[in-house]
Amino acid sequence: MNEITSALLLLTPLLPVVLAFPPLRSRISHPCYIALLPAIVLLLVPSVVPIELPWLLLGSGLGVDGASRWLLAMSVVIWTAAATLLPKPGNHAADNRFTVFFLLTMAGNLGAIVATDMVGFFSFSALMGYGFYGLLVSGGDKTARRAGRIYISFMIAADLLLFEVLLIAASTTSEMAFESVRLAVSGSASPGLYVSLVLAGFALKAGVWPFHSWLPLAFRSARPAVALLVGGVPIAMGLLGMVRWLPLGEITLPGMGLIIRILGAAAIIYAIVAGVKRSQLKLLPAYTAMIATGFFSIALGAGLADPAVWNQYGNIPYFFIVSLGFGMVIVVAAICWLQTDHHAPAAIVKQEDDPSLWIERCAGAVVRWGGKLGCETLPRLRSAWLAKAGSLLQVCAWRKAVDAAEYSLQRWILAITLFLLLGLVTVFLAAM
Amino acid sequence: MNWDAGLPLLIVATSLFSGLMIFFLSEKHVVARTTLNLGGAVFKLVLVGVMIWGVFHGHHYEARLPLLPGLDLLLRADAESMLFVVLSSGLWLVTTIYAIGYLEGSPHRSRFFGFFSLCVTATVGVALAGNLITFVLFYELLTLSTYPLIVHRETEVARRAGRTYLIYTITGGALLLVGTVWLYSMTGTLEFAHRGFVAGLLDTHRVSLIVVFVLLVAGLGVKAALVPLHGWLPQAMVAPAPVSALLHAVAVVKAGAFGIVRVVDDVYGVEATTKLGVSGPLAALAAVTIIYGSLRALFQDDLKRRLAFSTVSQVSYIVLGIAIIGPIATTGGLVHLVHQGVMKITLFFCAGNLAETLGIHKVSEMNGVGRRMPWTMAAFTIGALGMIGVPPLAGFVTKWYLGVGALDAGQEWVVYILAGSSLLNAGYFLPVLYAVWFKPAPDSWPDERSFGRFETSWALLAPPVVTALLTLAVGLLASAPFSPLQWARFITTLEYMP
Amino acid sequence: MQQIPWEVMLILLPLAGAMACFLWPRRTLLFGLISALGVGGCVAGLGWRLLEQGAQRYAVGGWGAPLGIDLYADGLSLLMLIITALVGLGVSIYSIGYFERRQAILFWPLWLLLWSALNALFLSADIFNLYVTLELLGLAAVALVALAGGANALTAAMRYLLVNMLASLCYLLGVALLYHNFGSVDIAILAQRVEASPAVWAAMGLMSAGLLLKSALFPLHFWLPPAHASAPAPVSALLSALVVKASFYILLRLWLEIFPQTGAAPGQLLGVLGAAAVLWGGIQALRQTRLKLLIAYSTVAQLGYLFLAFPLGSSFAWKGSLYLLLSHALAKAAMFMAAGNILRFCGHDRIADLDRVAQRLPVTMIAFSVAGVSIVGLPPSGGFIGKWMLLEAALRAGQWWWVIPLILGGLLAAAYIFKVIGYAFTQAGVLRQTNKVPMSMEWAALALALAALLLGLVALWPLSLMEIGLPFGGSEVDAIQRAEQS
Repeated sequence: MNEITSALLLLTPLLPVVLAFPPLRSRISHPCYIALLPAIVLLLVPSVVPIELPWLLLGSGLGVDGASRWLLAMSVVIWTAAATLLPKPGNHAADNRFTVFFLLTMAGNLGAIVATDMVGFFSFSALMGYGFYGLLVSGGDKTARRAGRIYISFMIAADLLLFEVLLIAASTTSEMAFESVRLAVSGSASPGLYVSLVLAGFALKAGVWPFHSWLPLAFRSARPAVALLVGGVPIAMGLLGMVRWLPLGEITLPGMGLIIRILGAAAIIYAIVAGVKRSQLKLLPAYTAMIATGFFSIALGAGLADPAVWNQYGNIPYFFIVSLGFGMVIVVAAICWLQTDHHAPAAIVKQEDDPSLWIERCAGAVVRWGGKLGCETLPRLRSAWLAKAGSLLQVCAWRKAVDAAEYSLQRWILAITLFLLLGLVTVFLAAM
Repeated sequence: MNWDAGLPLLIVATSLFSGLMIFFLSEKHVVARTTLNLGGAVFKLVLVGVMIWGVFHGHHYEARLPLLPGLDLLLRADAESMLFVVLSSGLWLVTTIYAIGYLEGSPHRSRFFGFFSLCVTATVGVALAGNLITFVLFYELLTLSTYPLIVHRETEVARRAGRTYLIYTITGGALLLVGTVWLYSMTGTLEFAHRGFVAGLLDTHRVSLIVVFVLLVAGLGVKAALVPLHGWLPQAMVAPAPVSALLHAVAVVKAGAFGIVRVVDDVYGVEATTKLGVSGPLAALAAVTIIYGSLRALFQDDLKRRLAFSTVSQVSYIVLGIAIIGPIATTGGLVHLVHQGVMKITLFFCAGNLAETLGIHKVSEMNGVGRRMPWTMAAFTIGALGMIGVPPLAGFVTKWYLGVGALDAGQEWVVYILAGSSLLNAGYFLPVLYAVWFKPAPDSWPDERSFGRFETSWALLAPPVVTALLTLAVGLLASAPFSPLQWARFITTLEYMP
Repeated sequence: MQQIPWEVMLILLPLAGAMACFLWPRRTLLFGLISALGVGGCVAGLGWRLLEQGAQRYAVGGWGAPLGIDLYADGLSLLMLIITALVGLGVSIYSIGYFERRQAILFWPLWLLLWSALNALFLSADIFNLYVTLELLGLAAVALVALAGGANALTAAMRYLLVNMLASLCYLLGVALLYHNFGSVDIAILAQRVEASPAVWAAMGLMSAGLLLKSALFPLHFWLPPAHASAPAPVSALLSALVVKASFYILLRLWLEIFPQTGAAPGQLLGVLGAAAVLWGGIQALRQTRLKLLIAYSTVAQLGYLFLAFPLGSSFAWKGSLYLLLSHALAKAAMFMAAGNILRFCGHDRIADLDRVAQRLPVTMIAFSVAGVSIVGLPPSGGFIGKWMLLEAALRAGQWWWVIPLILGGLLAAAYIFKVIGYAFTQAGVLRQTNKVPMSMEWAALALALAALLLGLVALWPLSLMEIGLPFGGSEVDAIQRAEQS
């Protein structure tokens, strides 16, 4: 029995990856559903023994506990729902590519849920992130590409921050399982840096205010299948990461708790105001998600300020994440249904570009300045130096001097003089 | 001669022999040449396998040939050399297959493959060198045997690139030579030893030792392309793709980096390096190189040039890992020797495939090429993501060890360098990937050739796919026994544990 | 049992060969090759005996030192003989293909005469005999330079002749001074009697200046490039590889035996001139557009290295210098031969128009490159070993500044050698008519180049030969041991 569950645990992320290769799934009729099968079976097994994979990466583990079972269930449902919205598998290259990204994202998502250590979680969520980027962009229009660009910038920044987190964790403890890291960090001298890095990193990944810029863009332009996934995949996994990585219930950081609560409240207010102002039906899920993450932030802040509160509510955050995922699915599905059947007034489609967002302006500035530095200033400096050195070498005077010297050395008079001089000098030196 | 002394000689001699034989074959003897090439490569790999087995079981492989009174040519298999030997002989096989496919039908192949084999001979010699003089010998041999490969195209551009290459490397070799002689005149020995052999001179010859260190590192830094000694590398890109792959991933830059590893670990020893206060500047130099290389790579339109600057940046990870004196960071540096090799060779193979199949040389021509050559570009994607350090690929493991090692050694600034480098790596690789996969393809490619069943000929396709899988494997299975990481850990234990 | 007088045979055999070639011009090739092989055998015999019995002194006709002629052979002379024989064999084989019949008739007697003079020079034990052999050598060399014909060659030969005369005259004056003061010309006797006095200083100045002129040490190198560049290829090889070395050999002998107590200053002077020669020769070589001139200037530079041992003065440095001499002899001979092949093949020796010679004349180009490796001093080659020894000696003696010319010279050498190789790999614009090059010429060049390379791998063997008779004083190891004992 244990072997079977272990195999299922391994297959849960592995099967989607394997099926992502076009040649391997070409003969299978419904690859997207089949890829979900191990996860579904895993849900039916009453008790799953976690497995250790010391050879994998830097030593990883997989397992399913009470909370992650719910998450897994949510994911399965969302992915099944999204799979129904996929276009029928055809020979069309773009669809084929879409399926690849779909399966890769699925693998990352399921793997992140069953991972029991930080490196595993990090790796799977990176896979998920890049895959989701592919989903956003492939076959999408200009807005979708823009959303994808912002999303991946955030994700790279988040990965960098979380990588620092991992390094800090690794330097405090040698075990990278969630539990041991949580214990080690809460015992360490200054958990503040750790906590703030984790929060910032996952906030970037989950699109929490003020890192929400890509959410409206994504909902506006993405295909239904992708829009369906936004809630369950990047947002839910980001929140899950916060819960898993933070030593909640162990440490007390009142100041930081306060800041986070303020940020959460600000997010809610912003989302309501912006949502009312934009008033587009398609954007509704984006603002809903922002409000939900705002609430989550407030809860998190409360937990950080007072561990007792957090411990009191136990698994509630997990259920919150699960319900958030489900809720988003329902909202998106409802909107899709409304739009396709024209029950609702079609959204006023604003074709003109949104004003460029701060993140894009920053990126633009970086590229511009970097370009100046890398393309112009540095090579120009170098070429200026080279030109100087070159002019030293190239000046004809040098060559002429060398040639003239050699020419005069070849004259007899000079040669004889030198010859006699040499003899004299030798005598003189010998006499000394 | 007994087996333990013969094996290192034999490993060096296999490629030397096949190289010399190939010189005497005429252009028409394709079958004989291919047999010699592949036979030599496979045979060498088998011998290396035997040697690993032996080293693991406590055999002591050592071959000595007297060179001067009191100074021997010494080939020795220790843990560090095995890492490099495995890398070079393994990737040689792959590159040979690739080169056979790449150069099919082009002129002067006997000459090419002859020097190609000599180049590997020199690399393996560098790896197996047991003292500094042997190292210098093979290091110079490497310079000489790569020169004809760089000028292989017989054009004026190639000649200039070759000239630049020589100006840099010969000067570097001269500095290295001076450092070596100077060291010898002080110590009377040049044999590599764990924790070095200069400890006794620290008090009396402090300044000389620092000067010698600078000379040695400058000499080696030329090949390792440390800024400001990196100028030859982007220019050497005129060479055919297999040569670039070999130069960048296996032979030349690695010989330099490996030499720095040797100098810090086995000539000076980590203690002496710290006491002399030279590790800090070396780490700073490496950091500057990492950032500078990435910055320059960001704005190159020529694909191979972009990859070349990326190499400048990536090879310095090795130096950085060594220069942060500490067991974990050293592990990271050593393992990057292998990881960078595997990743970079993948990227160069792919670049070569693009050039050979579609005539694409520039990043701006790569729009939508993922649809035309999915396998090649999948391999390219894995290599590029590995370079960025995306888990679970090879680059991630390196960065992990460098970062943890830096924190462990109390040098937090390294973490920022790593982060900045990752960011820049993402900056110059991700737009390429985006263009490849998501942008629409043009109506026609610059210079398309058809290869029938596959997207390109199988000899061109198989090597990058294999190395891409290796990139994935060495990252994913980093903790499995016999992975490069475990071997690097083993080396570090020898160096740091009493 | 009466020992075979190898020394005498070494001198007489090529002389007899020269006579025979002169008398029977139809059979020159046969006689020439027989003598060449015979000399090779004699050198082997002499070497064998020296290995067994140590340094040898041979009185010709049984007359002793003060009256008769003595021949003396130790490790130094043996190595010079060996290198002469090796280069000589190579040149002999090369010249079979090189010369037409008409020129061969002139070449062989002159060359064998030159060989005989060289052998006699290396075996002479007194300074007057050295003078005689030097003069003989010079005359033969001048005649060989003139062999090419044409105005250039004749001018160069004339100039070469005058230089030879002048130098010999100076040398002879020094000999006379020494003989007048100490009543002997035998080196060993002089070494015992000589003491610091104005006459000795004057003699030293005169003899050194004369020999430096013949060795073409900067700034007295003016005659060498035209002479070496305008001679036929085998002759250039001989001149560069052996003839200039002969006068260096005499200087070395005098310096080691007769003038050791003259103080450090002249040694430093020679060192400075040597360093200047290395740099000047390198720069000039780099400036040349003709292959043979480039190689000739390279000889000027390489001769400079040899003089870097004088300021150091340790036995290790002398050995390094001698090692450089040996490997340069082989490499430079190979290089001139390769240049001759290229000249024959392309019909010109303009470097910029070499046009893929590397592909079309591979054996020659390999020979050139391998010889170049030794000239540059890259491992593994004889040049590297010699340079290593000089570097080590300089650093051990604490005179680190001599490292600079050694390294810079190597870089310059690399620059001019690879300039040639680079063009040899590059396609030139116009395709030209090419001529066939005989196999023997290509392989002779390659054999000598490989010998120079091999010299880098079997260094212990020549170094142990240098110990015979201890020409350079006690070896380093002995000195250390003595220091430890005391």
